[in-house]
Order: sequence, then C-alpha cells, then structure tokens
Amino acid sequence: MSVPGFEGFEKRLELRFFDDDNSITSNPMGLRLIDFESLDQVLNEVQCTVVSAVANRSFDAYVLSESSLFVYPTKIIIKTCGTTQLLKSIRPLIHLARNLGLTLRACRYSRGSFIFPKAQPFPYTSFKDEVLVVEESLPKSLCYRKASVMTPSNNPSRAWHVFTASADVESDEPVVVVEVCMTELDRVNARSFFKRKGDEKSNSDSAGKEMTRLSGIDNINANAFICDFAFDPCGYSMNGVDGDRYSTIHVTPEDGFSYGSFECGLSLYDDGHEDISEVLSRAIDVFRPSDVSIATTYGGEEYNHEVTKRVERVLAKKLGLKCRSRLMDVFPGSGTVVYQSFTPRRK
Amino acid sequence: MGGVVSSLFGSGEDAGTESEPSRLLKFSSSARWQLHYNEIKESNKLMVVDFSASWCGPCRMIEPTIHAMADKFTDVDFVKLDVDELPDVAKEFNVTGMPTFVLIKKGKEIERIIGAKKDELESKVSKLRA
Repeated sequence: MSVPGFEGFEKRLELRFFDDDNSITSNPMGLRLIDFESLDQVLNEVQCTVVSAVANRSFDAYVLSESSLFVYPTKIIIKTCGTTQLLKSIRPLIHLARNLGLTLRACRYSRGSFIFPKAQPFPYTSFKDEVLVVEESLPKSLCYRKASVMTPSNNPSRAWHVFTASADVESDEPVVVVEVCMTELDRVNARSFFKRKGDEKSNSDSAGKEMTRLSGIDNINANAFICDFAFDPCGYSMNGVDGDRYSTIHVTPEDGFSYGSFECGLSLYDDGHEDISEVLSRAIDVFRPSDVSIATTYGGEEYNHEVTKRVERVLAKKLGLKCRSRLMDVFPGSGTVVYQSFTPRRK
Repeated sequence: MGGVVSSLFGSGEDAGTESEPSRLLKFSSSARWQLHYNEIKESNKLMVVDFSASWCGPCRMIEPTIHAMADKFTDVDFVKLDVDELPDVAKEFNVTGMPTFVLIKKGKEIERIIGAKKDELESKVSKLRA
C-alpha cells in the first residue's frame, strides 16, 4: 500500500508504583490526585487528547483520541494507537508521581506488530530502539529487566513485543491482563462502527452509545458501565468500568486495515465474575475477525494451563477459531505471558 | 479513528474565576440541599445536579465546562454536590459512576448523564431547559 491507512495496533505502557510508603496512607487516592492540566500536558507530548471520561471509587478511565488512559492510585495504564509518541510520557509521569511522594516500582511496555511499520516515527520503527528509549527513561532501581519478541512460526509478521523492568523479581499484582488484537474484521460487523449518513447532527457521545448497542458490545459484560465515543467519520472507542476492573475496546473499521482490540484486567478466580473464555468469546464475536492474537499476562498469579486450554476450546467451539501457535515467556516482576494466535478453521 | 475530533478538553477557558461569583451552586449540607431542591421544585426551572468527588479526575476535568455552561444557560439551575460530603443524597440518587449529571424538572428526574460527556450534556441541557 503506497499510502498507509490508520494504524490500529496500540502501544501499551503500564507504570506501577509502591504503595507501602507514607504517601498512600496520607493520600489513598495516590496518582488520581494528579491535576488534569498536568495529565493533559503529558498527553499532548504523546500527541493525543481526552475525548470522554468516567470514574468510580476505584479508578479514573479516560477515552483518548487515540485509545485509553486508566489511572488507579498506584497504577497507570496508557494505550495509544496511530503514530503516537507513547514513550514520551514515561519521564513526566514518573516526575508527577514523585511530586505526590510515589516511587516507581515497575514498568511494562508492550505491543503487537504494526500493520504499517514504516509509517511509525522513531523509535517505533524498531523494537530495539524502543527498548533503548524506555531504558533511558527509567531509574536504576528498576534493576530486573527483560525484553522479548514472541514470534509465532505460522505468522512471523504478527509478533508480540514485551519489555519489562521491575524493582522486584516477583510481581504481587493480583490482576491478570488479557489483550486481544483482531484484524480483518468481518465487513458487515465493521459497518456498525461507521457514523451513519445524516448522523452528523448527533454528537459523538450519543453516536457512540448507539454503536455500543448495535454491535453488541454492551453484552460482553453486563455488569460494566460503558463510556463510549464515536469518531468522525468512523471509528469507535470504549472504556468499561466494573468495580476495580477495567476493560477497553478500540475499533478501526476501514476495510483494508480494519482492526479491533479488546483488553481487560481481571482475576481468574473471582466467583462473582464470569469465566474469561466466555467473555473473550463474546468480545471476539462482535468482530468476527480472520486473525486474532491473545496475549495474557499473569502478573502475580501463577500460570494456569487449564485457562489457556479452555480459551482455545471455547474459541474453537463457539467461533470456529483454531489456535495456530502458542508461545510462553516469563518476565521478572511481571509474570508469565502467554501469546496465542488464531485463524478460522477453514483457512 | 484518526478522523477529526470535534470535542476537546483543555484548560484554556477561564470560567469561574475569583473575580466573578460562579453561577454554580454548591451544597455541603443535606438540609440546605433539601431546602433548595424544594424551592426549585415549585418552578418550571431545569436543574442540573453535578455529583462529583474531589478525587475524581474526570470530575475535575469537566469543571471549567460546567462553570461555562452555568454562565451561558442563565435560565438553568446548576448545583454541585460532593458524594463524600453528601453520601446520603448520592445514594438516594443511585450515583455510581462519576461525574453523574441528573437533570431535574418539577421534582422529577428527566435525564441522566454518566461520565464527563461534554457534548451530550450541553445538547441535553439546551434541549430540556425550555
């Protein structure tokens, strides 16, 4: 393609801070106390802006012009797509946290493989350069570091890139993060994410609500409150808020470079919540893609092979998606990462 | 995505400055809120109740917008309630996500917006104030 389309694949940054200082006892809201102007300035550096937001007692969730930002008392997650400069946010965020008395504990940078890798600015043209930039931005106290590219043998152009740096060898993060990347979305399903003709009068908030309903995204997790947004002339983003659990969906529906992502943080053993395989199955069914990859990061949780197998069984049974590759790696301070690739059975 | 973003949040506006009294009313006591509520109930005035909290980032983000709207829509009553100061009222109105904007007319809730949804709030207030 001579002119690249919009890059849906996101860059993801997660920063975790120590919560056993005096700072958290005196200011239990931690990072949530960062004033909006400062956050806005950081996002400006990254080249994105806030388009919608919602919060509850546990965290703040922002929908950005290029994906999402989640602010917990001791954790920040930023996910940005397009040609954003995500890594420019590291230094200013560490600085803002330090002003609140919070010390950096761990950093994780991850992404899939870009659809238009040549359209990315430096350092995103090479993972080695990205790792260099991240490393330079982190304090030496984060001494346990690892970079890895997980490359499926059946599809080397869809690799999963991870860099982690941590002050501890083991993570105590109770949240398992699941990141689903989907391409070649079903064209009919993708149509839900185009603003309808004559809909220019309706604002992006109500158009977003309509897309959530039409696409069936509101059925993925009935408990979650959804903060959605529709872009002009097409495209969609949402953040789901369910207690202290976040979820997020971003869609680039254009044919030729269609992309959809679903991410959520959850506990595998919470009886009150549904089986992760069912949630993933419903999320992927919204898009009926021809290519799916799922990266699961176990954090402080012990790797559970049953979960991996169950996800593969459910996706095969309910969506006809066959697992073509399964890779695993362990990252100090971040835990086990499993990377699975799926394509439809008939292919 | 990647198209034009029509609504942006920023700290550009200078609404609700020290020199001008803000039209946004704030109540820290249930009793005074109740008094005000009963008063407005008698009129045909639209009341917008903004449920927020000091630690809620999105609430702080949209605050300049609310001040600006209060200045613009002078026929509408804008009230801000802190969910920590008035937890009973927050519970009564079933506030979970924040900010939550409850639009009330003649003592009845006619609309509710959850989240810092600038465009939707402005469009609904504009439509329902008559």
